[in-house]
Amino acid sequence: MSCAIEVNDLTKFYGRPETGVLAVDHISFEVRRGEIFGFLGPNGAGKSTTQRMLTTLLEPTEGHIVINGHNLAHDAYPVKRQMGLVPEESNVYAELTAWDNLMFTAKLYRMPRSERTDRAQALLETFGLWEKRKVKVANFSKGMRRRLSIAMAIIHKPSLLFLDEPTPGLDAQSARTIQNLVRQLNAEGTTIFLTTHQIEEANQLCDRVAIINHGQIAAIDTPEQLKRTFRRVQSVEVSMEPHGQPLPDIQAELPEATSIVRQGDKWRLYTKDPALLLPQVMEYAHSHKLRVVSLSTLGPSLEDVFLEITGRQIGTVHHQTPATVSQQQNAKQTVAADET
Amino acid sequence: MKPDRWLPRLQDELAQAWAVAVKDVKVYYLQPGMIMFGFMMPFFMFFSFSVRREMAAELGVARLLALTTFFTAAAAGPFIIPLERRLGTYDRLLAAPMSLLTLLLGKAAVGAFFAIVVSAIALVIGVAVLGVAIARPWLLAVGILLGSFSFSTLGLIFGSIPTRNPGDVQMPSTLLRWGLLFISGVFIPLPEMIPAARIVAYLSPLTYAQDLMNHAVPGVGLLNPWLDIGVLLLTGILFLLPSLKMHRRSRKLGY
Repeated sequence: MSCAIEVNDLTKFYGRPETGVLAVDHISFEVRRGEIFGFLGPNGAGKSTTQRMLTTLLEPTEGHIVINGHNLAHDAYPVKRQMGLVPEESNVYAELTAWDNLMFTAKLYRMPRSERTDRAQALLETFGLWEKRKVKVANFSKGMRRRLSIAMAIIHKPSLLFLDEPTPGLDAQSARTIQNLVRQLNAEGTTIFLTTHQIEEANQLCDRVAIINHGQIAAIDTPEQLKRTFRRVQSVEVSMEPHGQPLPDIQAELPEATSIVRQGDKWRLYTKDPALLLPQVMEYAHSHKLRVVSLSTLGPSLEDVFLEITGRQIGTVHHQTPATVSQQQNAKQTVAADET
Repeated sequence: MKPDRWLPRLQDELAQAWAVAVKDVKVYYLQPGMIMFGFMMPFFMFFSFSVRREMAAELGVARLLALTTFFTAAAAGPFIIPLERRLGTYDRLLAAPMSLLTLLLGKAAVGAFFAIVVSAIALVIGVAVLGVAIARPWLLAVGILLGSFSFSTLGLIFGSIPTRNPGDVQMPSTLLRWGLLFISGVFIPLPEMIPAARIVAYLSPLTYAQDLMNHAVPGVGLLNPWLDIGVLLLTGILFLLPSLKMHRRSRKLGY
């Protein structure tokens, strides 16, 4: 049994057939034991719905979920004992102290008294909350609540941990702390199911990622393999002096650039062929009396892949049009072809 | 299932229900909604409808005890569960390794506990301040316990409505509580009701709680006290069924 999670034909439909919403559309995937599996998708793609079904909080309309060999529809009790859940909002009890929050959770999992006090102390020390253990959580910062929420989710040493958007809204230091904790938990053998729209976070943490869009799995692979699949989304990054002045006719004079995005003091020029674009850039700089300060070619980032798959124009966010839907379907076909 | 398998599971479930109840007592006893609708409302109701009316102190205390068990116990579920849903803490309970029935029993125990405490305060006032003598203390104890449990599970029905907004639940639950209050022989004693009204009163569990309190405090009730006990026990269990059904529906809807 090498799979922690096996999902087969999972579907969730909200509401009546004629007026309802198909949130998750017959998705199938597996999460291997011991991996960090990223579940990426734009808002409303079906990420949270899928995670709620995996964690028994929501009943699927169709399909099967098997976790650690137990079918969730008929045998949820042992699965619940083996999993931990960190939801998007830190669901801690603000009126209780950090210590009481941990003790309550440990009691729900029927941990013996000595084990729960030892474990709570160890977790509070690890998460930097030991000094605040007698403080009511109402007085905690967002980052402290997040850490406590994670501590509550792992107090019973689950073999499978679901994390829903663990770092948005946190300062860089708190986010880094939580990412390191996720790596540490995974190194200790915990399988992690990470739902996020923080693409760089998924890129840094995950062994594999699934990209879900419009309720369907658009791609599943390692971050690097996904980038290789989308090598056509390459770019040239150029910085020219003087900074800040408008660049007239740049789109017309760089026909090899498919999309041009200003990023601070640099311009990012997306292209299918950097080799053809580079001379055009130099020629453009020369003809407009600009000095090229830096010039580099970049492969596709996971964010580029994500945006390509989910049908959003690179560098911008806009409403979906028939053209972008067609582009997205082409992307899906590309991924499917590469997977076969 | 063999006893060596279900017995530990039963012990686990009871301990989990207890943990939920203790946690809720700690978290919610000072919440404004609980203080207003649970702790103060029965006293407001009592004074609104009893002051300046000629009534024996024993009957007044019996009425107050019925009101405290009813209002306080039935207030907890509609307040706590939607609030926990809104804060996301309910997901923690639903994802924990315990049955839905265990969770609901834990929640029912909270309302019952609050009702018992408030009733104890009312009883102390009745005995110490008004000098009321309790005719049948054991019936009083049974009445408060069973009434609190029955009305707490009644409150759970409203708490189980699939919503994250306590306001959506308070309106129908208040409507029902006030309706029951006026048909149940609390303010108009059963013997003084017209026959049609008395038939309606028999449909309300509060009628049996009030009658049991009348047996216990002044020592004069209309119905057989064993009937009162049986009805309160049965309704306490039956009221759990719609809660279970609505929770399963919530799981389909995503609440």
